[in-house]
Amino acid sequence: MRYKALKLQHIALALITLLLTACSAKPQLTENTEPPSIKIADDFKQYSLFEQYADPFEGFNRRMYYFNAKADEYVLLPIVKGYQAIAPAPVEKGVSNFFSNLGELPTLANALLQLKFGVAATSFGRFALNSTVGLAGLFDVASPIGLKPQNEDFGQTLGYWGVGSGPYLVLPLLGPSSVRDATGLAVDSLGHQALIKELDLTTEEELFLDGLRSINGRANVPFKYYQTGSAFEYDRVKLLYMKFRELQIKR
Amino acid sequence: MSQYCLISKPYFVSVSNSLKFIEIFWLLCTGGNVRNLLGLALLAMITACSNIPDPQVASEQTSTVCDLPYTKFQATVTGYCQEQAAVLPTSIPSETLTLEFRPVEQIPEVFWFNQKLAYTFNQQPKAAPLVFVIAGTGAAHNSPKMKTLQKTLFSQGYHVISLSSPTYPNYIINATTRDDMVGDLAKDAKSLYAKMSAIYWQLQSSHNLEATSFSLTGYSLGGAHSAFIAQLDEEVNAFNFEKVVLINPPVSLYNSVQILDSYLDLAHERAASVAMVERIFERLAAQYAKQESSELSQESIYSLFAGAKMSEEELKLLIGASFRMSSTDMMFAIDATYNIGALIYKNHDISKFESISHSMYRADDITFTQYFDRHMLPWTQKLEPNVTRESMIDRLGLVVIEDYLKSAEKVTVVTNEDDIILAEGEVDYLREVFGKRAKIFERGGHCGNMDRQSFVQYMRDQFVGANTL
Repeated sequence: MRYKALKLQHIALALITLLLTACSAKPQLTENTEPPSIKIADDFKQYSLFEQYADPFEGFNRRMYYFNAKADEYVLLPIVKGYQAIAPAPVEKGVSNFFSNLGELPTLANALLQLKFGVAATSFGRFALNSTVGLAGLFDVASPIGLKPQNEDFGQTLGYWGVGSGPYLVLPLLGPSSVRDATGLAVDSLGHQALIKELDLTTEEELFLDGLRSINGRANVPFKYYQTGSAFEYDRVKLLYMKFRELQIKR
Repeated sequence: MSQYCLISKPYFVSVSNSLKFIEIFWLLCTGGNVRNLLGLALLAMITACSNIPDPQVASEQTSTVCDLPYTKFQATVTGYCQEQAAVLPTSIPSETLTLEFRPVEQIPEVFWFNQKLAYTFNQQPKAAPLVFVIAGTGAAHNSPKMKTLQKTLFSQGYHVISLSSPTYPNYIINATTRDDMVGDLAKDAKSLYAKMSAIYWQLQSSHNLEATSFSLTGYSLGGAHSAFIAQLDEEVNAFNFEKVVLINPPVSLYNSVQILDSYLDLAHERAASVAMVERIFERLAAQYAKQESSELSQESIYSLFAGAKMSEEELKLLIGASFRMSSTDMMFAIDATYNIGALIYKNHDISKFESISHSMYRADDITFTQYFDRHMLPWTQKLEPNVTRESMIDRLGLVVIEDYLKSAEKVTVVTNEDDIILAEGEVDYLREVFGKRAKIFERGGHCGNMDRQSFVQYMRDQFVGANTL
């Protein structure tokens, strides 16, 4: 089973590499098409906010954005709906707190890597308190006493040490990212997996936990693709994502 | 990677509801690598602007007022947060429904996500008066301001049917025809009236909707639409509206867009505008870095905004940018639906994976005034050669139905003394035309007070609901 999964991953990776570079986002024009009558301003490239961020994988990214929108509508959201129908609100809150608490460790590690000792101390305090008094993280008892939630990840750590974002990248199911942040995400995931290993769970239990974590993640996001109704949602999300990460890294 | 979001509901809505941009941010949270959305929220304010506390949050924290220094621009962007929020129900029965007008196979592929006309229906458990609500420029049937109105009206005992603005892409793609001219108020009214009738018939059969009477309201451009629909209804008599309330309507669309266009002049001041956006971003980022928690709360947003000390020019830029995004979306939808070829390649079907960034870059520079001169006027003149620029400008205002509005006892207007979309003298014009039927609040900017106590109380006094039975 393991071997098979690995092989699939390789194939997927090869496919993605191919897709990343091979897909085109350019219009396929025919003979009778006429160029748009309104011109793009000459000084546009120089000053546009949108042009600040390269998108060489646009063909791939746009396809992935479409795929994510469909997957969200037909798979993720129905599951989340079912989960919310079954789980009473306090259970949902507890689950959400539990995974948030697990997330303190990567935050702590990344805060240390960025030499942000204050953030690290807060995160550690939160983890210690919520894991014990908060019953394994089911309750957030730290926030009310002033240990406010923090947020660091390996993408931010890389950014802190001067690694540029690299091109914009839309990840399958996970959504907007960049080459740097996707790398960071992979590192954080490895850390998370190591953490889960420590819990000494059976494969089934691990799968359950992973599934619940994904559902919880989606359930906490009151967003629906194309709710903006705009044809330019892809472009605007790209700009916002890239700007947002800059802001996080500056913090 | 943690998939936990610190904030579970949007705290922001947009100016004129043109953008529900904040909603995009929740997507990023699914990305798993983004745990905190404050930054995105800040960004929302920068690019989409405007936050008004979510009504749900507001009702839980009624004592919350902000200590931002009041200006009409601040109220338009961050809401009139100096006044207490009204207490509204946290949730009401709500369904998003669709109705097909244009056959799905005729919808351009680039709008694959937008097939069929969408609307919101809030149904009372039994027979009740019904109110239609029309959204403002570029806004959807379910925009945050619409949701506030839905809660306000539903809690008064009304069935509520909410329609998107005819300037909203979903409406343009599905429910306009080639002869329509988005923004031509009388034509828009005709189009909306037909949609309202069709939706009412659909709900009668699908939901056993029983309406005891009909009323109408709308905000911003939707307010002007409501005035024209009310007049149309006097001739057609499909609904015989009992009550019509115009909320922050433009008096002259042309004057209003002149004002909004002046807030953002990308074609001539691109470098300066972009630099200003960057400066706003830097200041908000600095405030965010100072903050102890990475958490977003209503208070922290106000304090970030207060700390960033936005200048009048900066607030204007945000408002202008927000409206520009709406007009970009609107123009693209018209262009793609009717193969006009201004922003798109003419005679070319845009695939759903195709890059359309170039169309956005072209559209972002275009002002409403240019849309009027390059598109509305020549296209209207093609159909009606006698129309002059001046007569067209008159058409886009309440002045052409002034006589009706003077005598129509059922129609009332509510706006603010300092509504930014009104030119000098237009508030007095409303007083003159509507007389006692005009309610003018001193403060609130453009639609900045729609979820505040005194405004909601006004609406409750207008829509007395079941009491009229």
